[in-house]
Parts: sequence; C-alpha cells; structure tokens
Amino acid sequence: MPTEDPKLFLLGSSHKVASLVERELISLPADKIEPFYKGLRSIPGMKECLLLNTCNRTEIYGVGNGTSPIDEVRNYLSNFQKLEKGFMDRHFYQREGEEVVRHLFEVTSGIDSQMVGETEILGQVKKAYEDACNRKLSGKTLNRLFQKGFQTAKWTRTNTGISRGQVNLGNVLSDLARRIFGKVENCRLLIVGAGDVAESTMESFQSRGCQEITVTGRTFDWCPLSRRKPDELADKFGGFAMAYDGFQESLHLFDVILTSTSSGTRMITADQVKHSMKKRPAKPLFLIDASVPRNIDERVAKIDNVFLYNMDDVSAIANENLKLRMAEVDQCRETLANRALKLWAQMVDQPSKQPSLINQSANPQEPGCAKDSESKEADSSN
Amino acid sequence: MDLEESRDLFWLATILYGIGLVSGLALVSKSSKLLSSTAPLLIIIAGFLAQTQALALRGQLVKGCPLGNGMERIQFILWSLVLGYLIIRVLFRLNLLGSFSAGLASFGGIATLILPSFDTPYWEQEGYDGIFSNHWVELHASMAIFSYGIFALLATVSVMYLIQRKALQNKRTGELASFLPAIQQLEIAGSRLLLVGSVFLTCSIVVGSLDWTRSPDSLSASKVGLTIALWLAYCSLWYLHFRQKLFGQKFAKVSIGLFIVAILSLGVVRSSSTPSAQDGDTTQTNDAN
Repeated sequence: MPTEDPKLFLLGSSHKVASLVERELISLPADKIEPFYKGLRSIPGMKECLLLNTCNRTEIYGVGNGTSPIDEVRNYLSNFQKLEKGFMDRHFYQREGEEVVRHLFEVTSGIDSQMVGETEILGQVKKAYEDACNRKLSGKTLNRLFQKGFQTAKWTRTNTGISRGQVNLGNVLSDLARRIFGKVENCRLLIVGAGDVAESTMESFQSRGCQEITVTGRTFDWCPLSRRKPDELADKFGGFAMAYDGFQESLHLFDVILTSTSSGTRMITADQVKHSMKKRPAKPLFLIDASVPRNIDERVAKIDNVFLYNMDDVSAIANENLKLRMAEVDQCRETLANRALKLWAQMVDQPSKQPSLINQSANPQEPGCAKDSESKEADSSN
Repeated sequence: MDLEESRDLFWLATILYGIGLVSGLALVSKSSKLLSSTAPLLIIIAGFLAQTQALALRGQLVKGCPLGNGMERIQFILWSLVLGYLIIRVLFRLNLLGSFSAGLASFGGIATLILPSFDTPYWEQEGYDGIFSNHWVELHASMAIFSYGIFALLATVSVMYLIQRKALQNKRTGELASFLPAIQQLEIAGSRLLLVGSVFLTCSIVVGSLDWTRSPDSLSASKVGLTIALWLAYCSLWYLHFRQKLFGQKFAKVSIGLFIVAILSLGVVRSSSTPSAQDGDTTQTNDAN
C-alpha cells in the first residue's frame, strides 16, 4: 500500500524575523483567539491546526487534508490581522514536512528562543497544545508531533548544555536592579499583571531578600498569560495586593515596576512617571515592560534617573550572558535534526488514518489529546 | 633606584599604583586566575607607603609639608586621594574604586614626574629657611590640599557613576560596568565625600583667614577670591544635593568639573609669596592652595 506524507505545515513569525514593533502588529490579543480559530478551522482542506501565540512568536501548525492549505492560511491571517502582503513576505516564514518537526523540536528545546535555552517556552507550547486539544483541533499527527516535541525538549535539557548557566528573566532583572540600587532586598517591587515573567521576577527578587512586593492587575480573567489573581500571586510571594484603579498615582512608592499584561494599552505614561519622579527626584526608578504590545510609554526612558527595559533589551542581555552556552547550540541543533528526521520517517511510514477533526467536534468518540505524561508511544529516536 | 631619594620613591609609588590598576582590572575580567583577590589592595598599600615615605623625605628636605611646587602639590593630592580610598574602604566596599583611584594616582604621578619643570628645587635657593612662615599656614595649606584629594576621590566616584549609568542606559552588560557598584551606592558615596571634602576645605579657610587677618598683605586678592569661589561652589553643590535639587548625572558632572577647576586653580593662583620670595614657586609659601 503506497504511503502518503502527512501534509504538515507551519506558518509563523518570531523574534528572528520581526522586531518588537512588528510583533505587536502580528500578535493576537486574547479576545481575538476564539474568532481566529473559528475562521481557521473553516479553511477548506484543514485537517488539524494549532495556534502558538506568545510574546515572541505567533505560529500556526496545521495538517492538510490531501493538500497543504498553507496559502489559504496565509491569506486568512493576512486578512484577519490586516497585514499587507509585503509585510507578510518579510516577517513570516513557512515550513513543510520534516522541517516543521525540526522547527518544533528547536522551539520546545529553547534553541529557537530569544533567550537561548530558556524553559518558559515549553510551558507555553504545552498550553497552546492543550488549548487546541480542548477545541478538538489537534488530531493524530499534531498529537504525535507535539508529544515528541515535549519528550525531545526534556531530553535536550538533560543531555546537552543548552540550559546551563543563567537565562532566567527574573534573575537578569534582579541583577539589573542590583546595578541600580545595590541591594535588591531594599527594593520595593510592583508587579502589574501576571504571567510567567512576573512570577519569575517575584521569585528572583524574593530569593534575594526583597520583602516589599506588591501586585496589581485588572480582572486577570481575560489574560491568557495569567494563572492567578493578584491577591493569590501576592500571597504566594508574601507580598501585598493593590487595587488597580489609580495605581499610577502610587508609582513614586516603588523602585522597580514590572508590567506584564496583554491589555495592549499604555498603562504608564511619560507624564505619570514625570509626576512620580518629582516626589522622589534623587532615587532612580527601574521600569520593565514585559508586555507585547507594550504597556509603558517608551518616552519615559528620556526622564532623568529612569531606566526602562523592554523584553528585547532583557533578552539581549540574557543572551549576551549566555554566549558560552551558544557553543552548544550547533551540536544540539544537529542532534535535533537527526531526531526530527527519524520522527518524520516514522510519520511517513505510519500515516494518520484518522479523518479530519475539523467540523466533527460533535463526535464524542473521537480520539482526544494524549496527556504529556500519558504518552505511551515508544520514543525510538531516543 | 635609591630608596633614600624622594623622586625615586615617587616613581616607585607611581609604578605600584599602575600595577594596582592593571591587577584590579585583570581580577574582575578573570583574565588572571592566579591572582589573589587581595593582591590589588596590597599593591596599592605598598604604593601608598612608598609615596608616604617619599613625602616624608621631601618634607625633611624642605623643612615643612612639601607643597612648594606643582609636583609636590599634585603628589600630596594623589596621596590624599589614596588615603581617602583606604579609609572609605573600611567604611563601605565599592568595587573597583581602588583600581580607579590607583589609575588616577598612577597617571597623575607620571604627569608630574615626567616634566622636570614641575619639580623646581626651591629649597636650594640661597637663604632658604623653611617653606611656611608659621605652623598655622602649614596647617591651612595641608588641609586645603587634603580636601583636594578628597575631591579627587569624589571625581573618581563620579566617573564610575557616569560609566555605570551610561552602560545601564545603553543596556550593556558583560563589560566593566557590570563589576562597578550600583549607581545609588556611588551617589551616596559621592555625597559623603563631598561633605568630608567641604568640611576640610572650610577648616582650611578658617585657619588661613586667622593668619590673613593678621597680615592682609601676604595674600593676593585673586587668590582669596578664587579660593572663596571654589569653597562656595563646593558648599553650594553639597546644599543642592542635600535638598535634592542637583543629583544623579548632573551632580556627577558638576563634581568632575569642579575638581578640574580646582586643579587648574593651583596653576593659576600661585602661592602668594612673602616679601623674600624669589619666584612663583617660592620660598616661605603662605598658602599652597
């Protein structure tokens, strides 16, 4: 019986091809994900699909039914986000077949991350996968691909030096705070929003003796990055929860302020920072905008004694610190390519017999997503 | 090298300060794994002892605190700078301050020793009978020059502040700046040094004015005017910083600028001479400031 390649494809954009400003245009806000998926699943020939939408990348993984509908997906995304063709050509990449497997392995292993070797991306991919599963859009091909991706990530971190050294965002930020204030334990930290960056920062500051941690945020329910409400987050780190309304009037009370939301609005303006600096003129203020789109007006960087860092800045520093680790990347990439090749050969030899999941969500008997820990599939590429 | 000769000892101190700078930088850049972490400090202390001995020998030669020519005055300022660093180091640690101070002491030392005209042998003049007319003038001059040493340290701290600030603004790491102290620590250190330096300068002026009121003709109006202007400038800087009107980058820049003015003023306002003076760098100096 002749075998047929799974029509696996990927359309995406990441920090490698798009700057922060461009990623702001590409990134899908939380409230747009539902309608985006709705349109995506209705594309003719789409068998399975998954959206990975993080601060640094927006990627659509899909499996076509007979043919690859990548051009249709491209047009759909272009119309949905109102992106011009030239912009799409410049800031998007597409992969097919074995290249998709290799790319995902590099993403989950952290090799493709802005901060090489970071582990946050694995959690984000798992979350995107769960989301696709819950929407019944991930079938046998994507299940197999992503399960292998998670296994490969674990193998890479255990067996290579890619995660050696310090890449944690929070640690990079607390080190910057040390260069501004001397002792992190004397800093007063305000977190606006939630998410992994916020938690990582709080964890790092707390481990260095910071005892004045305050958390604020809006409802948090809509935020795709958040898992906890402000009071829960504050409790976890022995901090305080502050009302969101008018928090900008209390900026002068804090030394370090981190925003990590997906609101897409300018929460902190230059005028507000200028006003707060009048109340603490001789004390520096360290602002970190970990949001995409950004929450802090970039003009605040021009105010005396104010230091503003965004995700690109922090990532650049972390990567600089990790130059030695980069020596591992080439060898790691080669290993991942071999593993991807083996998996792809298996996928071609044992193609999915499963019909399209799209438009069959009413069928309660359809195969669901295997949990990461429940994967029984032999990992022959190990 | 003759260890009984002050100039040779000044050269030794200058070389040791240079080694202190290089070893300090090598230590932070981890380019030398064999170097002990205390080595730069020990080298700077050795340089300081050599410089102290050199000043003592020169003091015996000139029969007073050696502040009679440009080389002596600069060397005394550099000695005060290193002494200030060694005292500050006991009170609070500031990474690389020793290396920066040693660097300034080394370059300053070379600049003064390389030009023979800076070290005119005024003590060889006929009828020379000591550098100062009385002990009050000597105390006044030594305190004034010591305060300049503290202001030199303030300028050093300010340079470190500007380097750290620039690196933070340019979002750079992995360079010298990542080993420098925090900008807030540097500003606090600068503020304290300014206070100490201003107190010494004030005391110097008070002591000097006691002598000046007894013999008003011993000092030129330009010297008095410039000294008072400098004193007022430093006191104003302290007041503005204390009231948080001048801080951060501007405070650092003004501190460096004032120190440059202070050093230049040493050349502009030569010691006012007593009636027996023969030239600018003369005998029986009333004030080295």
